[in-house]
Amino acid sequence: MNPMLKRQLPFLGLAVAMLLFGLLAPHQMVDVGIWALIYGIAAIGLSLLMGLAGQVSLGHAAFIAVGAYTQALLVGNAGWNPLLAAPVAVVASMLVALLVGLPLLRLRGHFLALATLGLGIIVGVFVNEQEFTGGTSGIFGLPNLEFGGRSYDTAQEYFLLLTPVVVIGLWLANNVVHSRTGRALSAVNDSEVAAECLGVDTFALRLRVFVLSAAYAGLSGVFYTHWLTIVNPSVSHFELSVKILLMVVLGGLGTVWGAVIGAIAVQLLDEGLREIIPVLIPSAKGEIQLIGFGVVLVLVIILMPGGLAQLWNKLRSAVQERRHPIIRGEHEHPISQKEQRELLEESLTLLARSDHMPAGQIILKIRGLTKRYGGVTALDHLDLDVKAGEIMALIGPNGAGKTTAFNMITGVLPPTEGSVVLQGIEVAGKQPHVAAAIGATRTFQNLQTFKSTTVIGNVKVARHLRSKAGLLRGMLLLDRAEEKLIDEASQAAIDAMGLTALADKPIADLAFGKQRQVEVARAMALEPSVLLLDEPMAGLSGPERDSLSWLLRRVKDSGVTVLLVEHDVAAVMALADRVAVLDDGKLISLGTPAVVTSDPKVIAAYLGEEDSDTNDSTAGATAAAPTTAIPATGGPA
Amino acid sequence: MQRSMRVLSTGLAIGLAVSMAACSESKTPTTTPAGTDAGGEIKVGVVLDITGAGASLGVPERQTVEMLADQVNAAGGINGRKLKLFIEDNQSTEDGAAKATSKLLNTEKVDILLGASRTGPSLAMRPLAEKAEKPMISFAANAKIVEGSKWVFKTAQNDRVVLENMVDDMKAKGLTKVAVARDASGFGEGIPEMLTEIGKTAGITVAAVEKFAPDATDFTSQMTNLRASAPQAVLIWGIPPAAGLAQKAYKQLALNVPVYQSHGIGNQAFLDTAGDTANGLRAPLGRMLVADQLAADDPQKPVVTKFIADFKAKYNASPSTFAGHAYDGFMIAVESLKKAGTDPVKLRDAIEATSKWPGVSGVFTMTPTDHSGLTKDALVIVTVDNKAWKVAG
Amino acid sequence: MTDLLQLVFAGLAQGSVYGLVALGFVAIFAVREIVNLVQGEYAALAGLSAISAVGAGLPLVVAVLVVIPLVMGIAVLLERLTIAPIKKMTPLTSIILTLGVSTAVKAIMLLIWGPEAKGLPTFPGSDMTIGGVSIRSQELWVLGISVIVAYATIWFYEHTIRGKSLRACAEQPVAARLVGISPRTATVVAFAVAGFTGAVAGVVGSPIYLSSWQSGLSLGLKGFVAATLGGLTSLRVAMFGGVLLGVLENLVAGYLSSGYRDAVAFVVLVLVLLFRPHGLARKTSGVRV
Repeated sequence: MNPMLKRQLPFLGLAVAMLLFGLLAPHQMVDVGIWALIYGIAAIGLSLLMGLAGQVSLGHAAFIAVGAYTQALLVGNAGWNPLLAAPVAVVASMLVALLVGLPLLRLRGHFLALATLGLGIIVGVFVNEQEFTGGTSGIFGLPNLEFGGRSYDTAQEYFLLLTPVVVIGLWLANNVVHSRTGRALSAVNDSEVAAECLGVDTFALRLRVFVLSAAYAGLSGVFYTHWLTIVNPSVSHFELSVKILLMVVLGGLGTVWGAVIGAIAVQLLDEGLREIIPVLIPSAKGEIQLIGFGVVLVLVIILMPGGLAQLWNKLRSAVQERRHPIIRGEHEHPISQKEQRELLEESLTLLARSDHMPAGQIILKIRGLTKRYGGVTALDHLDLDVKAGEIMALIGPNGAGKTTAFNMITGVLPPTEGSVVLQGIEVAGKQPHVAAAIGATRTFQNLQTFKSTTVIGNVKVARHLRSKAGLLRGMLLLDRAEEKLIDEASQAAIDAMGLTALADKPIADLAFGKQRQVEVARAMALEPSVLLLDEPMAGLSGPERDSLSWLLRRVKDSGVTVLLVEHDVAAVMALADRVAVLDDGKLISLGTPAVVTSDPKVIAAYLGEEDSDTNDSTAGATAAAPTTAIPATGGPA
Repeated sequence: MQRSMRVLSTGLAIGLAVSMAACSESKTPTTTPAGTDAGGEIKVGVVLDITGAGASLGVPERQTVEMLADQVNAAGGINGRKLKLFIEDNQSTEDGAAKATSKLLNTEKVDILLGASRTGPSLAMRPLAEKAEKPMISFAANAKIVEGSKWVFKTAQNDRVVLENMVDDMKAKGLTKVAVARDASGFGEGIPEMLTEIGKTAGITVAAVEKFAPDATDFTSQMTNLRASAPQAVLIWGIPPAAGLAQKAYKQLALNVPVYQSHGIGNQAFLDTAGDTANGLRAPLGRMLVADQLAADDPQKPVVTKFIADFKAKYNASPSTFAGHAYDGFMIAVESLKKAGTDPVKLRDAIEATSKWPGVSGVFTMTPTDHSGLTKDALVIVTVDNKAWKVAG
Repeated sequence: MTDLLQLVFAGLAQGSVYGLVALGFVAIFAVREIVNLVQGEYAALAGLSAISAVGAGLPLVVAVLVVIPLVMGIAVLLERLTIAPIKKMTPLTSIILTLGVSTAVKAIMLLIWGPEAKGLPTFPGSDMTIGGVSIRSQELWVLGISVIVAYATIWFYEHTIRGKSLRACAEQPVAARLVGISPRTATVVAFAVAGFTGAVAGVVGSPIYLSSWQSGLSLGLKGFVAATLGGLTSLRVAMFGGVLLGVLENLVAGYLSSGYRDAVAFVVLVLVLLFRPHGLARKTSGVRV
């Protein structure tokens, strides 16, 4: 069967199951089911926000409230047709999210969470205070949903009306997870800096997902309104926000299916606790079911961070293991170097672009680039011109400022002062995705792979800038043709690095050196004009180093500029057209390998640094790279 | 991962559906045939705020209803038919009330609905009762619950009745410039406006209006502003503990003018919170609080005295005003059931025909335009003297 | 003018309570980068426990002296039970986790003490009126104790070797270990300090602002906003921010509408984040690699 069609089957299954439930279950169960579905819609949205954007809204009920109140005002007071009012209500929620998200999503960590918590309170206070929202009594006497000559006023009918809404909502959300946007954001969650350096505008994408999640909440509010027929400030309350959050966490982060399962589980838990607690503790008064919510939240996070989804996966793999014990071992078919190079020639044509700057022109102009941390100057007024189509190496003892320079060129660090002009555009102090969009990407000294996905999954992220399907296209599966191109180009980059056999392996299973190669493949898949490689040889075997050198020369031949930091001096001298030597934050020598190696300042710098260098590399047991920080005496090989 | 989740959910949903279907007795009837009086048990559905924010209202209401149902059944039921109570907790939420009501109407098929304890949940119940064409008697106060409704009644007095009493008292004392601090929730909504309207003929104006949240604890800003408006009297409209704390702040900020409180303060919690600062306040309250001071020929005296005695005997505590509202609602239902049986239309007509019936909160007379039934005679002006309620002279 | 002074004075007292709660946020955030949503619950728990202790016949002073270490112990215990077992703490995890703990603690308080708000008896002293401004003796207690506790906390962190190394632990775990402080100790001490300031806020505030199972939520939120003013790392600004917030709330309640009192904190939060985001980001120059 077509895999695309196969992916849609479970949704059909869900629809049939819900249909059967709606038709056959007793009235009371359907009533509970309706609330699970209404809140489930909001939970799907929150699941997207938490799973993809890595952000949490503690005031999601506020968006439900905005949707519910808008719908109630338009239908109840202004007499609109509910079907016309619903889109407006959803858009109202989205607008509020946009207003909140614009300032807050730029900040990392806790701020969105706390601000949304505040938003919940502000919305609650607002609707409580305003006359047009009916104050504390709210808006009541609203009509049930009615269209197509039917009034959806019984539990069964409303459940059956909600069924397609939830199934389609879930389908759309699931498509988002697997779309270009979903891939990029999932990469951000693994390594924000790497994703940004591949051109992912984290802020813009997060904002979109936040607004989308508010749309789901707004829709949930619309259905809330027409089922309850009364909307009052309690819809914005913290308790509801906690409930929606619990649905997502219990169901399992990272899969939108979890939200629906979580919604059913929490609604049942809620009903159950309310029945059971008063029996166990007769004196209990008030919202004591909260105790269950709190305890379940804590236990899930401590014992089962992946929620019910994780539990299900564990069970499933345990069963599978018993039935078909997996034979451990690699099924790699080693290919000869010759074969690999043939493959590579083929893939390089795929990656070749004609719009590179003519060779010899200055593609990267660095002036006065400086970074100071308090009293320490990591890089001191670096001036450097890199010409299009050359391989320039940046070398120097540890702590010389090489990586700091890389970080500022690619936007990972804002410079204290100085400018970086890339293809004529100033990028100093801008976010990394800006430099990436102009054509500069990089690899990292400390690996920054996207650990939750496979090798090809890592490389596909790099095609972000070379594709353009937005959230909407991804939702509606209108991105299939483009996705196919992304697959092909990513595969080509993997082939070029000789990683074909590993393409579908989880990256976390790969050896260190292989992961480094994936990073290079990933950077190349972006089709950069300037490729910055931070110690690409570290951790690679001899033959792997030879392959990489060969590859880089081929890359250079196709017009790409390469800037690399490398400890393997012999390799550098063999590879680079020009070498820049940094010591203690200052540029001490610049020229062809021959010129640099005979520069007495360079020799002095390396000899003087040898002790501290060895100290450093043992203390920071990171790369475990066989660095050879000896003065380079040999000429270019 | 993704795939497995889908399989899981599908399986789960199908499993649920099948198991539900297996234990399903009735295939979701939507409406019940109206107009039958089949005999057998009389089913009374009660939806109350037993847990959550309204628990202090709902719990004594449940106690009252349970006690009264036992009494009625012990006396042989209504025309030989026993009462069967279905008490549901709405958790003080609107969706809880809607869920509970729809269960009572569709699954239990009750003959009459009682509750809820507060305005919000009552408003959520109203459309369901109207759609099912079953009579409903709410224990909450807001006039919106019954406005324009054919099927819904309530037993707590309208705010208007309370304010009419206050205006009369202010008029008698020659107080015309009133500063109002009101509860910011539904309980205090629209009070200053209504006071302006009712007080117009007596020349009463509202000098300043301040609001406080039901869970507010510091009233400095409100009382400071009221003081600044130089009023001749202060009206605090809220429920304890806020009403008591406001009373304290009023004393502390030395607003040395007479203070009025609403009918929301009629319980021990207020006296405990306000302490000595409550001395001298004036509030229109139901007769239950001052039962011992009532005249012997007062029509309510026997009802109130018996209710307090029964409640104390059974629960070892004094009934609150809210328990009184439950008493009135339940007993009006019982009286009407006696006369009309369980046919919904006849039962509704009988409730609407309630006339000069002495209850705990007052003497009720329902009409097609008044589904609340109490006039200003239901209340007396009460003051506090050394932590005890006294009929004001 | 009298009204203004009256509002400001009431705000000072209220704000000191926010400030104390804010100190707890900073104490924990500085060491673990966790926004501890249980912070407000320490205050509610202390207030309610003290009320019960007094109800059981203990003198007020004894009750307070028993309750504060108790709450500190509970704060540390909760950290050991819930936060310590987590290996990889992301902001998302920490928020969900502490939200869960706070929700459970709230419900337990509801179970034990019921839904009604209660107040501790006022501390000794009599109310007075100075220049038309009415001053409750309890407000003076709140102000006095807050100043002492805030000063002591700041002094502990800034002037004792142990305090200084505790804070250093956040930035330089290796260096901190060298001077003999494990991250574990630092975390435990941070939660004890947070429990302490929270509990003090709870008991001194209870006679005026009452304690209930849900009073921790808004107290915690306002404490967080105050702490945000100090970038979640400055104890002084956090305390000052709390006081400022209290005054601002009272002015809004007095001159605008008391209904908007609770919105003040969050409008301030959003404005600060909008216009002073760099004052908030911990290390704007920090390397993100």
